[in-house]
Amino acid sequence: MAEPQPSSVHEGMDREDPAPLPTSAEDRKAAAAMSSLERRGGDDDDAATKPNKEIDQEALGKAISRLELADKAGTVAAGEKKTKEKEEVEKRAKIKVDQADVTLLVEELDLTKGKATELLKANDGDAVKAMRGFVMLRIHNLTLDRMLITSKEVNGESEEVPQAQTEGL
Amino acid sequence: MAPPPPQPLASKERSLFTQVVKNYENKQYKKGLKAADQILRKSPDHGDTIAMKALIINSQGNSEEAFALAKVALKNSMKSHVCWHVYGLLYRSAKNFEEAIKAYKFALKLEPESQQIQKDLALLQIQMRDYQGYLQSRRAILQQRTGWRQNWTALAVAQHLAGDLANAERTLTTYEETLKSPPPKTDTEHAEAILYKNSIIAEMGETERALEHLDAAAKNNPDRTSVMELRAQYLLNLGRKEEAAKAYHLLLKRNAEYRAYFEGLEEALGLDKSNVEELTKLYGDVAKDNPRGDAATRIPLEFLEGDEFREAADQYLQRMLHKGVWSTFNNVKALYSDSQKRDTIQDLVEGYAAGMLNTQANGSAERQINGDSDLFTPSVRYFLAQHYNYRLSRDLPKAMKYINEALSSAPESVEYHMTKARIWKHYGNLQKAAELMEEGRTLDVRDRYINTKAAKYQLRNNENKAAIQNMGKFTRNEALGGPLGDLHDMQCVWYITEDGESYIRQGNLGLALKRFTSISTIFEIWQEDQFDFHSFSLRKGQIRAYVDMMRWEDHLREHPFFTRAAVSAARIYVVLHDQPDLAHAKMTNGVNGEKMDSAERKKAQKKAKKDQEKQAKEEAERKDSKKPGAVDQNGDPKKEDKDPKGEKLLQTSEPLVEAMKFVTPLLEFSPKNIKAQQVGFEVFLRRKKYLLALRTLLASNALSSSDPTTHEQAIRLGHTFRTQTEPPDRKVQEVIAAEFDPVLPATADLSKHNDDFLQKHHMSAPHVQACLKVRQLLDPSSSDKNQQDVIRTLALEGSSLEDAVRGLELLKEWKAKDQYRDDYLAAAHERWPEATALKKKGD
Repeated sequence: MAEPQPSSVHEGMDREDPAPLPTSAEDRKAAAAMSSLERRGGDDDDAATKPNKEIDQEALGKAISRLELADKAGTVAAGEKKTKEKEEVEKRAKIKVDQADVTLLVEELDLTKGKATELLKANDGDAVKAMRGFVMLRIHNLTLDRMLITSKEVNGESEEVPQAQTEGL
Repeated sequence: MAPPPPQPLASKERSLFTQVVKNYENKQYKKGLKAADQILRKSPDHGDTIAMKALIINSQGNSEEAFALAKVALKNSMKSHVCWHVYGLLYRSAKNFEEAIKAYKFALKLEPESQQIQKDLALLQIQMRDYQGYLQSRRAILQQRTGWRQNWTALAVAQHLAGDLANAERTLTTYEETLKSPPPKTDTEHAEAILYKNSIIAEMGETERALEHLDAAAKNNPDRTSVMELRAQYLLNLGRKEEAAKAYHLLLKRNAEYRAYFEGLEEALGLDKSNVEELTKLYGDVAKDNPRGDAATRIPLEFLEGDEFREAADQYLQRMLHKGVWSTFNNVKALYSDSQKRDTIQDLVEGYAAGMLNTQANGSAERQINGDSDLFTPSVRYFLAQHYNYRLSRDLPKAMKYINEALSSAPESVEYHMTKARIWKHYGNLQKAAELMEEGRTLDVRDRYINTKAAKYQLRNNENKAAIQNMGKFTRNEALGGPLGDLHDMQCVWYITEDGESYIRQGNLGLALKRFTSISTIFEIWQEDQFDFHSFSLRKGQIRAYVDMMRWEDHLREHPFFTRAAVSAARIYVVLHDQPDLAHAKMTNGVNGEKMDSAERKKAQKKAKKDQEKQAKEEAERKDSKKPGAVDQNGDPKKEDKDPKGEKLLQTSEPLVEAMKFVTPLLEFSPKNIKAQQVGFEVFLRRKKYLLALRTLLASNALSSSDPTTHEQAIRLGHTFRTQTEPPDRKVQEVIAAEFDPVLPATADLSKHNDDFLQKHHMSAPHVQACLKVRQLLDPSSSDKNQQDVIRTLALEGSSLEDAVRGLELLKEWKAKDQYRDDYLAAAHERWPEATALKKKGD
């Protein structure tokens, strides 16, 4: 070697270790250890066997009540959201969907009945519009992504891709 | 049904019941069963005991019996939360998570105070990504036990994952405010929670506040790297460039090999690749501080041009080659996409080889004529061998010359053998490649890397047995099914994939399918594996890593390994749909099936089927005589593989339905992979789902409109629409007219369209092949001409070995005349004399 190596560096593999056993043995041990922790920790965890003594109980009580308040606030906010959603839902409910169209979408697009109905409603019940949207949906994203990909390729880190001869089957 | 009255147990039985539960938890199944039976003798209808018994039986591997018992238990005690809980546990172990959630919820309704059930439910909800449900469960758990930090953190995680960042932060802050005094430095859970909170603030886009928080709360955080990296990033994002530059300088002091720091620093200093002078100084300074480092001398090669590049590359290469750094070529090959740089490097290293060191344009290059000069010459040869073997600078005879020179001076070198094997591979001579790799392996049998390589090359040469034998040298050989079983246990995805691809080449579709299905199973296991971390990570307080993992799991099947296996599997199912005969294994091998008339074929089929049945029977008998003794690590009995050859997979009556199991995740997770879209097209077209076929076609067209397969598929779709007898629904027609027309107008003459495309791409073999395929489809009478034209593609300048192999497949597909096939092979052999795939039979 050209330069003196630090004393802690040894060249090559440690020959003392004769067993070329799979690292998976280690992994398994680790996994076993973890699962045993898992079991023991089922309810009372090592760290959690005792609650933190440093906690100010009074503050904790307040915190909880605040949390509950926040929850309520959350539910109020959610409630508002819900009414909005409700309006949306009502609006959507008003859109009439032809059952024949639902069946058509289920058949042609491999969708569940629920999804097909949703898609139709999102397109004002117009089956052609819904199907066109579905068929075209991702193209825009794809083209964008493609631009990103090609710019990456131009930068050139791309390695040889092992070409398996499985192309034609 | 009226619920039967509850049956209280006598005190002796009650203690016995506790015993059963304990036995189950400690995996003492036999003892547990015994105790349970003892209780049941006294009160045979006791639901909870029956339920526990079911649980134990399930753990012993008998799931069906367990479910039956659990149902009995439920019948006896509809109102027992234990029974419902057990029912849920059974569903969970059968991986029916939705039913499990339902059962848990019912159990919880009966026993709202049970923390165990609540927790089990929460784990399943997050596994199923039911964020709202998880949020609710977490809130309930926290309200039961407020004093545990992890319950607070868990609620924050739930809010975070559900997208409610503001409340996630508030939850974490609320807990912090309850602390009487700041936790000690050694409290890693606290330290991690601080950084987790910081990441949430940053995720909300409030960089300014994230920086303040970081400076205030994370000063002494033990994860210094993260703190420093985040700080630098925040400063940069805020446009405080001077401070950012300082922060990146500090980071480089800690690690001067990490490119991201250099990039950050460049950005902070406002430099781009055109500020050559400043950049040179910047990297020069860092290099001075790190004389042993690589990055500071390697990165400048990317922005330097012309003579400056030549000088820097000369210095870099000489230094590396003098030191005998094995990876020198791999370090610089990324520069080869710039052909000028590639030529400069070639020129330089050829110069070293010719011994022109002294006459090199610059004298400043450091030269050491001391002890290491004996490393220099072989390093140069090794470099050149790799250089001429590389895709962008390939000249195989030269590569072979250099590697032979290198080998003559060091015939024992494992690395040289590997490179030589690789050169043979690029010649197309897979047999010699595998032989050389194997030879290299024997030089150092304890080298796992070359062992693996040898096995891979053997698989490429279809030597599956030799390959598995090699792999077996490094496995435990305890699993059922020998080394192959080990490789499945260890989830050795590359091997299983290569094995499968090798079986495709050999026409053994059953085993190929078997392997690809294994890959899919391994991905399922990876999905499943996250389960343990929902509680483990929280307990250990590793929250950021946990959130990363969750996001990774959400995109698991994007992985190229999955894509590769899934595309191959779907293709096999398509072939099976087209040629159902293939399902009868023995028929598939080679030509013998092709030239029989139908009576003979039927006879042969019958015989093959009989043989198959006979074999299966023999195998079954053999298995019966063998005691099932294999157990895995935890002492659980192993499941025996009932279909080791994949014959059941092969004989599926609905290959297209099976194919969808691969196509659906492919299209969902790898929509940008054109092969995924194309195989999706093949499946949809055969299922007559024309709109879905159109969807994949439009996607491939957006990805690459000049792709040969895309062209072929477009015409095939057009051809299908023109020739079908029952027109589709009017609305479907309307969609097709609107969306397909821009790609291929309904009025277009398909033959003309194809000829135009051919004209445009007549110099590219894959395009010509695609056009010929189309011509064959549109006009079967053109067959002779097509076969001759395929032979002509071999003469095209850009044709690759892979193209040639594909051409051969095409001729096979068309059942070409022997004469054309021989001509093709002769021409191909002339151009690629070494290629094993193009050798004539008997050569």
